[in-house]
Amino acid sequence: MNVAHKIKSLVSDQRFVLSLLTVALFIFFGLKNSAFFNADFVIYPLIRDAATLSVIGLAQLCALSIGHLNLAVGRMAAVSALAAGAAYQYLHVSLLLGLFMGLFVGASLGALTGWIIVKSQVNAFIVTLAMDFALLGFVTYIYVTFTGATTAFTTKPAGMEFWRNTSWHQYCVAGVCGPKIFPMMLVPAIIAIAVIGFIFSKTRLGRELLSTGSNLRAAKLSGIPVDRRVITAHLMSGLLAGLAGIMLAFTNGSFTAAIGSQFMLPSFLGPVLGGTLLAGGSVAVLGTFIGTLLTLIIRQGLSVQGIGLETLNIALGLVLLTALSLGQIQKMFTAIRMRGRT
Amino acid sequence: MKKKMLVAGVLAALMTVPSVAYAASATDFSKIKVALVPGGAHPYFQPWITGGKAANTEFKTGGTIFNETGEWDQTKQNAAIDSLAAQGYNAFGIFGVSPSDINTTFANLKAKGFAVGSLASCPGGYDIVKEPQKNTADFCLSTDTGAAAYLAAKAVISAMGGKGNLVHLTGNAVDANTIRRMEGVKKAIGETAGKVKLLTTITDIDTDLQTATKAVTDLLAAKGKQINGIVTTAYNPAVAATDGVKTTKLPIKVIAIDDDPKILAAIKSGLISGTVVQNPWGQGYVGSWVLAALGSKACTMKTAGLYVDSGSFLVTKSTVATYDATRQATSKKILKDFQTKYMTCK
Repeated sequence: MNVAHKIKSLVSDQRFVLSLLTVALFIFFGLKNSAFFNADFVIYPLIRDAATLSVIGLAQLCALSIGHLNLAVGRMAAVSALAAGAAYQYLHVSLLLGLFMGLFVGASLGALTGWIIVKSQVNAFIVTLAMDFALLGFVTYIYVTFTGATTAFTTKPAGMEFWRNTSWHQYCVAGVCGPKIFPMMLVPAIIAIAVIGFIFSKTRLGRELLSTGSNLRAAKLSGIPVDRRVITAHLMSGLLAGLAGIMLAFTNGSFTAAIGSQFMLPSFLGPVLGGTLLAGGSVAVLGTFIGTLLTLIIRQGLSVQGIGLETLNIALGLVLLTALSLGQIQKMFTAIRMRGRT
Repeated sequence: MKKKMLVAGVLAALMTVPSVAYAASATDFSKIKVALVPGGAHPYFQPWITGGKAANTEFKTGGTIFNETGEWDQTKQNAAIDSLAAQGYNAFGIFGVSPSDINTTFANLKAKGFAVGSLASCPGGYDIVKEPQKNTADFCLSTDTGAAAYLAAKAVISAMGGKGNLVHLTGNAVDANTIRRMEGVKKAIGETAGKVKLLTTITDIDTDLQTATKAVTDLLAAKGKQINGIVTTAYNPAVAATDGVKTTKLPIKVIAIDDDPKILAAIKSGLISGTVVQNPWGQGYVGSWVLAALGSKACTMKTAGLYVDSGSFLVTKSTVATYDATRQATSKKILKDFQTKYMTCK
C-alpha cells in the first residue's frame, strides 16, 4: 500500500515524469542511430548548450516567480557580454574580473528594469519589451562605433579556451576521473542552480518572492516589501541573463551583438516545461535544467536522424506540446478514473 | 547570330578545361563525406545542393549532404555541424552565422582532423586578402562582395546615363559583407565626379521578402520621383525592388542581385536593367572537390586560409540566356586554378 502510494506520488511529480521522458528519449534516439551516443560530437556539446540555456531559463524563472515576464533577457545577456568583452579588449582585465564587470552590468540593468516597473506601475511585459528595443539599439550602436566592420570584441582572455573545451575528464581524484561528457561550462550552471534553488527553497527572500508572485495584495498586507522584491527579482534575472550571455560568448569565441538574440524562447521553455507557473508563485529550479535538456535532446536527436528543417520544427513543436500537456493529460486520466469509481 | 555562336564556342572550350587539368577523378575520394552547411535557410544556398551533388557524381566522393538547420544562430549551426560529424561526415563547407565566431568552429573542426572550407563568406574582422592566415579554415571561397557591388553600381549608373539619384538596398548593417558592399557602391559613385548622388542606403531588409517589400513600398511612396536608379546587393530587396518598379511603373533603373525567376523575367521583359549573379553552384561544386582533396590528403593548400573569389557576373538582356553556362565554365576554371595554382597535389 505504502509502495503504491509512493509510486502514485512519483508519477504525479512533474519533475519525475520529465526526467523519465528525457531519459526515454535519449535512449530512443540512441537506439535509432548510435551516432547520437557520440560523446565528442553530440553529448558533450549538448550538455554545454544545456548549461548556458538553463542559466537563461533561471533568469526567466526569477521574473516568473513574481508573476512577471522578462522579454529583455536576451538583450541583457548581450549588454553584459558587451561589457565583459569591452573590458577584455580595452582594459585587458583578467577573465574573472571581466566576468564580474559583465555580471554587475547585467544585475544593474535588471534592477533598473525592476525600478521602472515599480515606479511607473506599467506592466512588466511592456517595460521589458521597451527595454529590449532600447538595448538592441544600444548594443548595435556600440559594436558598430567601436569595432567597425568586425562588430565584435574578439580579445580572448586567458582561460576562455579552458571553459569552452575542457571536460571533467581531465580532473581526477584518487585515480577516479570525471566523466568525459561533462563540460566545464556545467560548473557555473550547477552553481547557479544550487544558489537559486537554495534562495527559493530555504530563504525568507525566496518565500517573499513567491508570495509576491502568488498574490501581490496578500503579500503586501502581510508586510512583505513587494516593491523591493520586484526589483530584487529583476536584479536576479538580469544577473543570470548576464551570466548566460558571457557563457555563450565563451562558448562561441567572441563577444558579438548577436549574443542573446535566440534566448527568448529557450528562456521560457526550460522553466515552463520544468513546472514553473507563468502566473507566478511557484518555481521549478531543477526542472528548468531538465526541461532545457529535454528540448535540446529532442532537437539534436532529430537532427542526428537527418531530419530536414521543416520536419524538425514540426516534430519539435509536437513533442514539446505533448510534454507541456503531460500535466493536463494526467489530470484527465485521474478524472476519468475517479468517475469510474463513483 | 554569329556573336551567339562565338560565345557558345568559347563556353564549350572552357567547359572542356577540367578534362586536361589535374586528374581529379583519378584520386580515391570514397572515404570523404562532404557536408555543406549554410547558416540557415536562404534561397542563395539552394544551388549548393546541385553543386555538391554534381561533385559527388563526378569525383565519386563518399557522400554529400546539405544541412540548413542552423536557423541563423551560431549555437544551432554548431550543433548541426556536430551532429553531421557524429554521422560520419568528415569534410565541411560552411557559411558561418557569426563572422567573428566561426573561426572558433573552424579551429575546433580542424583540431579533430576534418577538412574545412569557408564558403560564401570569410571570417570577419580583418582583410582576408592581406591576412589569409587569420582564417582558420583551410580556404575561403566566396564572392568578393565589394567588387560585386561595385560592378552592380557601375552598371546602374551607366543605365541612368551617368547622372541622377541612386538608392542602395542591402542586408544586415553589422555584417562585414554589407559594409564591403556599401564601400563598393560608394566607390562607383565617387568615380562620377558628383554627377550621381547616393540618396539613401537602406540596410537590414534582407530578413525576408515581406520586410524588403515594405521598405521598398515606403521608399517609392516617399521618394519615388526623385530616384533615378536602385542598386540592390541582397536577395530579398532585389526581388522587392523588381516588384516595386513593376507596380509603380516609375522610370527607375534597377540592377538587382542573384537570379530569382522574377528577376530574370523582369530582365527579359526590359523592366529592370540587369542583375549581378553570384556563383553559389560553383561554391558547392568546387568547394566539395577541394574539401575531398584536402580530406583525402591528396592535396594541401599552398597558402593556408587562402581567399579565392568565386566570381560575380553582370547579366543583362543580351546575356540572360547564356550566363549560367558562363558561370559553370568559370567554376571549372576556378577548380583548375585550385588544382594547379593554389594547391600542391601528389
